[in-house]
Amino acid sequence: MDLKEKLQILADSAKYDASCSSSGSKRSGKEIGNTSISGICHSFASDGRCISLLKILLTNSCIFDCKYCLNRRSNNIKRAIFTPEEICEITINFYRRNYIEGLFLSSGIVKSPDYTMELLIKTISLLRNKYHFGGYIHAKAIPGASPIYVKKLGSLVDRMSANIELPTEAGLKMLAPNKDMGKVSAIMGYVRDNRSRNYVPAGQSTQMIIGATKETDLEIMQKSESMYNGYHLKRVFYSAYIPVNKDNLLPSVSMPPLKRENRLYQADWLIRYYGFKVFDLLDENNPNFNILVDPKASWSLKHLDEFPKEVMSSSYNDLLKVPGIGVTSAKRIIKSRKYFTLTFADLKKMGVVLKRANYFITCNGKYNLNRELFSKNFIESNLILEDKMTSNNNYEQLRLF
Amino acid sequence: MNNVYIYDGNFLNLLNLIMYLFKNKVVPGNIKMEGYLGCLFDYIITLKITNTYTLDNFNQKFGDYNMHIMYYVFLSNDKNKELIIYYYLLNYFKYGNNLSKMRNLNCVDRALKISKYVGNEAHKLKGFIRFKELKNHLLYASVAPENNVLEILSWHFKKRLKNEYWIIKDTKRKIISIYDKKDFYILKEEEWNLQELILDKSEELFADLWKTFYNTTGIKERLNERCRMNFMPKKYWQNMLEVSDEL
Repeated sequence: MDLKEKLQILADSAKYDASCSSSGSKRSGKEIGNTSISGICHSFASDGRCISLLKILLTNSCIFDCKYCLNRRSNNIKRAIFTPEEICEITINFYRRNYIEGLFLSSGIVKSPDYTMELLIKTISLLRNKYHFGGYIHAKAIPGASPIYVKKLGSLVDRMSANIELPTEAGLKMLAPNKDMGKVSAIMGYVRDNRSRNYVPAGQSTQMIIGATKETDLEIMQKSESMYNGYHLKRVFYSAYIPVNKDNLLPSVSMPPLKRENRLYQADWLIRYYGFKVFDLLDENNPNFNILVDPKASWSLKHLDEFPKEVMSSSYNDLLKVPGIGVTSAKRIIKSRKYFTLTFADLKKMGVVLKRANYFITCNGKYNLNRELFSKNFIESNLILEDKMTSNNNYEQLRLF
Repeated sequence: MNNVYIYDGNFLNLLNLIMYLFKNKVVPGNIKMEGYLGCLFDYIITLKITNTYTLDNFNQKFGDYNMHIMYYVFLSNDKNKELIIYYYLLNYFKYGNNLSKMRNLNCVDRALKISKYVGNEAHKLKGFIRFKELKNHLLYASVAPENNVLEILSWHFKKRLKNEYWIIKDTKRKIISIYDKKDFYILKEEEWNLQELILDKSEELFADLWKTFYNTTGIKERLNERCRMNFMPKKYWQNMLEVSDEL
């Protein structure tokens, strides 16, 4: 099998992992390569996802038989394995030509978790020590591996992660009978306790598949929140389920639930940067996000009695609750309003999205729209219409009824 | 008459010219680089001034942040960038270090937006530049940015590819940056005789592998052409081997 075919097989099997970030690490190699604290995207694939790292598997042969996975044991597909040298050659040559920011290396499980970890470690130490590669490396830790391997691998990479795959133990039992959540959390706990400048400096992340099992958004977000709090994860990635296998335990969907995935990411941001808690956004009676309205706008519509907020006097945390005001523009408002009186035009200059914020703010006591129309129904239908227009604009003219 | 003051295209000289104008209480109609062809009502003035201040002086006086903003505006392709820098500085004397918060002033808003635009473009190109390996193991890339970001890119690759010889050519401005494993030098294209580019024999293999990877890694069930174009505008595609044939 030639190198090109191997690369094709092993990139194809790795592509379903959502993580591709290359940020959060400050490394400077002696010979070649460094990392950029903000991360750098080198290209964008036809699906619009960023390509930052050379995302490949070391091998796609696997002793596990997870129902949703392309590489499961029972699938009759072509199997390939890279030698450590091949991976190093490709990585270095791609890096010198500035195709990539670094390497993302994962693997199917061959023989045992420990054996697989040994292969990963061998490859990455060759890259770091023989080729003196100082670029970004994200490696997947194999659940169930001995701590000594987890320790060694983490000392070589910028980010290490283990995927939780499904939000509940029950889901995992059904679709990935060889996996168990305890083994994944063992790795997360180890990384949390040992993280330093020399050990997984860019932190850890994880991924959940959305829509393969019956969990609600509430269950998913609760799991995320508990992992952010419990294991100090940098990111939880949500990956809309794409049917690659046929199995009667799997749902039959024709399209991956992309809108749902989008809502989960929005909520994830609200929890990490906007001071929201999961139960602010969802509860047992409304366990799923509204597909038509984004989570922040839904929250605001539910708490309309707290609006409109006055931009000249609201606190930073209150400003963050306004749809159309983000972290950057809220900070700008706080800094600027000490020095001059803001107008709606100034807000626009600062990056506030007025067509959303308009409904929810007053500026110097002035409300930009007709005050009499300040009602849930009016605002909600306008926000939905606005979204529809922006997403349809380039494709087709809006149909009237 | 519209008084247009001419400078030689050097950032330090521009700042000194502006300081000179402040000192003599002259309000310029515009400030333009050498080679500017005036309009009907332009009155072109070229002053002979000796530089009173060095870049260090300016850094100390205005602070790193304001110097950064002004330098990035200077690198931009904005038609009135010199005038924006003039008014930015003028307002500095009124507002001091609070200047960057005064977004209600047009010149501040423009300066911050332009410098962000330049920074963003440089950041994007740090990823989008593609080097080719030439026969003598020299790495060569060409870019066609909207703004003059060659210097910013050179600083980046000086750290990243420190043990390589590389050349980056800005085909729009006809300037090149050459790195000799110690430092980089920015020259006009005609000052350096770029011979015919003969590719190293490994080049075809890795370019082919990269295209294979690129075409494999996209998930076809999630195809999203609009999203790809938002993040990676078509104007950059001509120099990116993985998409140049889609143009």
